[in-house]
Amino acid sequence: MEFSLLGAALLGVAAVYGVIYWEAARGNAADCSKDLWDVSLGAATAGLVVGRLAAMIIAGTNPLTEPGDILIVRSGVDTGWAAVGALVALAVISRRETVLVAGGLAAAALAGLGAWEAGCLVRDTCHGTVTDLPWGISLGGSEITRHPVGIYTALLFFVAALAVMWLKRRTQNPLMVGGVTLAAAGSVRLVTEPMRSALGGRPTLWYLTAVFLGVGVVVVAQYRQRVEP
Amino acid sequence: MVRLRRGLAVLLVISACGGTSVDIADIAVLPVASTTDIESLLASSQQPVVMNVWASWCIPCRSEAPLLAQAHASFRDDIRFVGIDVRDSQDNARGFLAEFDLDIFEHYFDGNGVIPGAFGGRGVPLTFFFREGGELSYLHFGVIDERTLAVHLDELTR
Repeated sequence: MEFSLLGAALLGVAAVYGVIYWEAARGNAADCSKDLWDVSLGAATAGLVVGRLAAMIIAGTNPLTEPGDILIVRSGVDTGWAAVGALVALAVISRRETVLVAGGLAAAALAGLGAWEAGCLVRDTCHGTVTDLPWGISLGGSEITRHPVGIYTALLFFVAALAVMWLKRRTQNPLMVGGVTLAAAGSVRLVTEPMRSALGGRPTLWYLTAVFLGVGVVVVAQYRQRVEP
Repeated sequence: MVRLRRGLAVLLVISACGGTSVDIADIAVLPVASTTDIESLLASSQQPVVMNVWASWCIPCRSEAPLLAQAHASFRDDIRFVGIDVRDSQDNARGFLAEFDLDIFEHYFDGNGVIPGAFGGRGVPLTFFFREGGELSYLHFGVIDERTLAVHLDELTR
């Protein structure tokens, strides 16, 4: 058995947990009745299942006739559908407090994504496309240097998480925080995707959708802030 | 009741997805190969070789089969793809190839499952990446993901 994927997932979960409680300790927690840790676990699990089912269906594997395949997460999880599944689950779990919960979880979610990406160091999967840059990394036994794209992505997610923490303290507007987070997550993916190796189509459209949706939410949040001060 | 109907509708839609597209009768019996056969295949190949070890009873192999078909479609001009079916029956192996349209590249039958061990592999699935001349570039144990497969395929073509 190979447990490096599990190790990377645990890093992500630990980062989410750490940021939720660090923010709570600093008085930067969401003003809602839901336990953010429970909501984040529920949303992440739902996202994982939806993303895996989508990846199977897209690959032509029937989840009903091959239920065992659902557990083979390493074979692929569709990023876009996973995000949709997680957001829908978050809305269902948090009900009337969706915006508050989304704002409260924003920084933790970005930090979790960053830690998951940093898990490429555990999995030895940080390598991207070929580059001549001095910090390029090589596969074992190779002289070809490649972008450490997993590290780039992790660093950008961590920077975005810090920016969102700062924004939360300044605005007290969870809708705006949620929009900025969505746009930031899409932007990080969009910027790093060309440096990743891929076999077929890239999920660029999903990332663009996240950016535009996030910007749209920010505009709505600003408008509402002006109208309802 | 409404929820039950909705659930059944979703199940019906999902159950309509996927399925066999090639008739098993169209799949030829897999040629039996020995370690020596594969060693000479690797030594004489004019292209780098990706050798995937699979079995029809192996659930993770089923899971990565669509990815291999996709990889073959993208790299077939530059890389030779070879499948080694281990500890299996011919009928089940042909059924597997038919189900996943994997007869698009060559496959060999290794009833005793000795070939992977000769190249340092153990368990199923395995994916070997060989440079021209048969030098091992990388061996992946277990299910391979798209990014890892893409990086190592790219490495072989340079």
